[in-house]
Amino acid sequence: MNAPARIAPGVRIAADVGGTFTDVAIFEETTGALRLGKTLTTPARLIEGMGQGVEKAGAAFGAANLFLHGTTVAINALLERKGARTALVTTKGFRDIYEIGRVNRPEAYNLFFRKHRPLIERAFRFEVDERLTAEGDVLRPLDEPELERIAQHFIADRIEAVAILFLHSYRNPAHEIAAQDFFTRRLPGVFVTASHELSQEYREFERTSTVAANAFIGPRVQLYLDETNAFLKDAAFAGKFLIVQSTGGLYDSGQASRECVRMLESGPAAGVIGTRALCAAIKLDNAISFDMGGTTAKAGVILSGVELTAGQVMVGGYAEGLPIQIPMIDIQEVGTGGGSIARVVAGHALRVGPDSAGSVPGPVCYGGGGSEPTVTDANLVLGRLQADLFLGGEMPLDTEGARRVLSARIADPLGLTEAEAADGIVRVAVTQMANVVKRVTTERGLDARDFAMVAYGGAGPLHACLVARELQIGRVIIPNAPGHFSAYGMLVSDLRRDFVRTHFARLAEAPFATFERLFAEMRDRGLAEIKAAKPDIGEIVLTYAADMRYVGQEHAVIVPLSAGLFAAHDSAAIKRAFDAVHVQRYGYASPDEPAEIVSLRLSAIGIIGKPALAEIAQADGALPEAALIARRPVHFGVLGGRIDTPLYRRDGLAAGHAITGPALIQEYASTTVLAPGDRLVVDRFGNLDIALGG
Amino acid sequence: MTQAATKIDPVVTEIIRNGFIAATEEMKTNLMRTAYNMIIYEALDFTVGLFDRDGNTVSIGIGLPMFIRGMSETIKAKIRHFGLAGIEPGDVLLTNDAYITGSHLNHMTFSVPIFADGELLGFAGCMAHWQDIGGMLNGMTRDIYAEGLQMPIVKAWRAGMPNDDILQVIRMNVRMPERAMGDLRAQVAAVKTGEKRFLELVHKYGRDGVQGAIEAIFDHAEAVSRASVREIPDGIYEAESFMDDDGVEQGKRIPIRVKITVAADRMEIDLTEVSEQVQGFYNSGETAGRSAAQVAFKCLTSPLDLPINDGSFRNLAIVLPPGRVVSAQRPAPMRWWMTYPMTIVDTIFKALATAIPTRVIAGHHADLVVANINGRRTQNGDFYVYLGGLIGGGWGAKLGEDGMSATIAINDGDTHNGPSEQVEAKYPLLVERYALRTDSGGAGKNRGGLGTEQVVHAREDIMFNAQVERVDCRPWGLFGGLSGLGNEVELRRDGEAIRFPTGKVLAQHLRKGDVYTLRSGGGGGYGNPLDRKLEDVDRDISQGYVSKEAAHSQYGIAFGADGQIDRAETALLRQTMRKQGLPKDRPFATEDFSACGCARCTIWPTPDAEAEALMRDVAAAGLSRWRCC
Repeated sequence: MNAPARIAPGVRIAADVGGTFTDVAIFEETTGALRLGKTLTTPARLIEGMGQGVEKAGAAFGAANLFLHGTTVAINALLERKGARTALVTTKGFRDIYEIGRVNRPEAYNLFFRKHRPLIERAFRFEVDERLTAEGDVLRPLDEPELERIAQHFIADRIEAVAILFLHSYRNPAHEIAAQDFFTRRLPGVFVTASHELSQEYREFERTSTVAANAFIGPRVQLYLDETNAFLKDAAFAGKFLIVQSTGGLYDSGQASRECVRMLESGPAAGVIGTRALCAAIKLDNAISFDMGGTTAKAGVILSGVELTAGQVMVGGYAEGLPIQIPMIDIQEVGTGGGSIARVVAGHALRVGPDSAGSVPGPVCYGGGGSEPTVTDANLVLGRLQADLFLGGEMPLDTEGARRVLSARIADPLGLTEAEAADGIVRVAVTQMANVVKRVTTERGLDARDFAMVAYGGAGPLHACLVARELQIGRVIIPNAPGHFSAYGMLVSDLRRDFVRTHFARLAEAPFATFERLFAEMRDRGLAEIKAAKPDIGEIVLTYAADMRYVGQEHAVIVPLSAGLFAAHDSAAIKRAFDAVHVQRYGYASPDEPAEIVSLRLSAIGIIGKPALAEIAQADGALPEAALIARRPVHFGVLGGRIDTPLYRRDGLAAGHAITGPALIQEYASTTVLAPGDRLVVDRFGNLDIALGG
Repeated sequence: MTQAATKIDPVVTEIIRNGFIAATEEMKTNLMRTAYNMIIYEALDFTVGLFDRDGNTVSIGIGLPMFIRGMSETIKAKIRHFGLAGIEPGDVLLTNDAYITGSHLNHMTFSVPIFADGELLGFAGCMAHWQDIGGMLNGMTRDIYAEGLQMPIVKAWRAGMPNDDILQVIRMNVRMPERAMGDLRAQVAAVKTGEKRFLELVHKYGRDGVQGAIEAIFDHAEAVSRASVREIPDGIYEAESFMDDDGVEQGKRIPIRVKITVAADRMEIDLTEVSEQVQGFYNSGETAGRSAAQVAFKCLTSPLDLPINDGSFRNLAIVLPPGRVVSAQRPAPMRWWMTYPMTIVDTIFKALATAIPTRVIAGHHADLVVANINGRRTQNGDFYVYLGGLIGGGWGAKLGEDGMSATIAINDGDTHNGPSEQVEAKYPLLVERYALRTDSGGAGKNRGGLGTEQVVHAREDIMFNAQVERVDCRPWGLFGGLSGLGNEVELRRDGEAIRFPTGKVLAQHLRKGDVYTLRSGGGGGYGNPLDRKLEDVDRDISQGYVSKEAAHSQYGIAFGADGQIDRAETALLRQTMRKQGLPKDRPFATEDFSACGCARCTIWPTPDAEAEALMRDVAAAGLSRWRCC
């Protein structure tokens, strides 16, 4: 671990604005104290809500030196398609690339299958005569008078944002830069963005989709950031305002207002970064982050202390989604959450999800009008959730309602008892979530059994031991305040800039001078941008990698490499590193086959001092009697049936306390379920460290 | 067996159902990541699956739909061949017999029996496309022997021991033995993964639990399927369509006729009147005909019900006598097997259109629209092969919805096109244009999807081969909707465009600076175009999907002096057109050409001498990076 940089002591505020809740985490640098707050998200006045959350947590912006922020404003603008009136300017002959896409049809038998829907309609997609070759040479110069004609269309059409993509701009962005300069000058007040600012990787459809999304959400994100800056100014905030990217790294609001698509997955990414920090604190190399909320479950991987990353995400799902081609944390998702609805279909078959009751109407037991049984209702009926202790008792749950609906809709039609039906729903949900964990492990060539699972999100601790059992994972860790874990992750993040440059080259004929130039360009830009975001930054770490494949393959893998290998022109060592990654990921390598480099990657990471996890009080003995709330019957289904089970208050537990399941550990926004035979020890930081039984 | 033991637990069934889906997904991922073969890796030209002890499909990974029957029929043939007593634990069964698999010889089909405590419980299977299986490289084959190695049903491993004789036979008959062996290992690994996951479920839930779940999965799929067919009015439904030709007798249309009988919750699809087997390489085995029928049936009855399993087809009977183009007999050539079945699927939709107008779609472009390009790089003499195209085309319109534009044909599923930036970096080609074809979608109340056009400029000399169908016979409309434009192949040599009346443009030598164009057809329209809402036509015009000329001639739109739609004049024009029986459908492209009389449109392509020489070169060099579908 790198030594923390020196920073002036003060208060750090992290705010994760999610769909339902705004989570706030406050870290006092002088005392090391961590405070948490949770408020309902107020969609109409997000910033105000955030302010209230901070207040509720007992902090003030005036005293803070860092404000770290994750927000759903960008992803929501995209998913709800509430963005700017946007136009595309592209190479002659290619305006339909955005609509044609990759022509695949994942729902192979569905005649009513729908492709992705472009954010920019065809009438607003303009072509300009210009052409570069794959080598980046100018085949036809940019037709500048054509740009003026297009600008006049934009004015007439009241265009608010312009996306620019020219073919091969990853190799030579000159034409994109010229067009961007032109439109920026010609159309003041219009958001103008070009693909090379976001992605310098080949694949014209994915780059078009990325720059189009950036333009589409740009004005809205800019407005939000401007308002937040104004709010912070009013609140006498004098520190740095930084935003979480989908890599889990931070960037400043100036960068964020130009490169808006980089913040799409900020909340989920921060959770994985939190997992990474937790792993570092408790000396754990490999972990699966498991985040379960109301509508989805998400899994990420920490391997040898580093999060796994991906080069692209499909926003809106694989079949109909829009690709965003930027580096981000590799997070897999399944539509199984606490709100997932259970149904009986075609007579005698049980299905759980993907339809969700969401937060409105919510599960039946919320009493908000929900009429179909959900995973949360099933947990309540089983006694794994306590009607009187939900959200610290602030929200009583309707057990009778849940039982009634569960019996009528599931148990009776299937000829099951109420408990069998409830247990069945949870078991089906658990296998679905186990399968999504396999997608980030087994499908990446990793064996889930080699990992511990760090579980968070409101519903994560409730199901973690069951999911782990399904995967034969032996160890589960429930961090402090699992319902606020993404906000915690923001507090332990670093400044980060990521660059990718496509340059196709056979490794045997590698143009190392060109590579050095490309790396130098990325390095210089990275260092400059990190320093611009935080002039007093201490250490800046640079990481190098290359996307490589065997000659003839299409798909490349990311190979982490040291800068030294490039400096030494060591093709053989680079090849060996590639072969090794290939073996890990795909189970085989072809050491005798020639390899090629597709893209170079560089990340600049500006290290920010981390809050150290505070240690909690040491227990006198191993038995936590003082934390015992009550003993209640809880149904463990196939794991042991109905058992009289102790309930503990988490805040009554001290380091060294040990509990053997069955048991429930209650805290404000979450419940941890220990199945019979599971053994929990509270570690010195207060994490629940669980060894799974049998 | 006691009553209690036969009771099927719905929870365990659902967990096992998820387990089967995940297992076949994992087999799919495993094969993709272990095959050293771009056709598997990129085009996903393979399918994996789990089967019961009789060879019925329990779950197959959704890859290419047209492989829906291949593995199951092959496993059943293997069971017949060896007898159940002749199959042992550790056996790996193999064949590529095209007359059994229902595709071409490239599809090596492996399966392993799954035993628990000495009892056969099921099979795991995998069919995947090998880059080369021997046989002639270019041009039209006339029998199966020209297409490469035929491997009868054999044991590649006997009780866990590799059968070296078989492996040596393969090595000697393919052009890239090392890669072939790599793919073989990858396929065996994939089926072993399937076996392992199947057995994990057996260990967890017991033999009876898994068998019970399989029965429940079949029963559920059957119930969904029967309920769906029950909603179709009883009756006999027939339709006819045509293929352009068989690639040998140019211009002689080939009839495709289907007859469908619906009675209560059962359906029979009769393919007796589909054309007899043909001279060129467009034939396929009976399994392909049955696959076409099942794909159409699944699309119409339970498209989203997973896993894909044979319970869905218990109420489907398929009549298919031998000797038809999709039940061809030895030695019919089969290399381009996938083309005709696509049109059969469309023809089944057409037959059922009046019965289930809400579920069917009009005809689609029904071809992969690809070109095989090869040549030698000028700078270093390296030989390369490139499969160009897969450009996606128009799909048929349906009730209440326009057709999808630029989407891969029904044979393929999750198949991707290649980025132009990549193509240009790898090959001496420059993509001048990749765009939607305005006016290619069949006019209708709901419009057919648009086809695409890819214009490619040769930066060095190249050799060009296309075997595109449905150029003459266009994708049809339904309920008064018009035909979309058909597929097309065009060459521009020395600046002069040549558009052929056929898409079978084989072995053509293009010089540096010459240009080839692939065009995919649009989908057929649905409903009378004169009934299309004005705002829909207006939007199509403003988006450039439909030209003003076509809006006028096909949709009866009149424009005012300001260029906007004149509602009153449009109403009058539409009335007049209705009386005159306009707009007129134009289902065949060749009729357009003979009307125009343009000589260039009626040139039938023949391989040129330079191309022949280049081909010999290629044969001498062997294949290094060849890819096809």
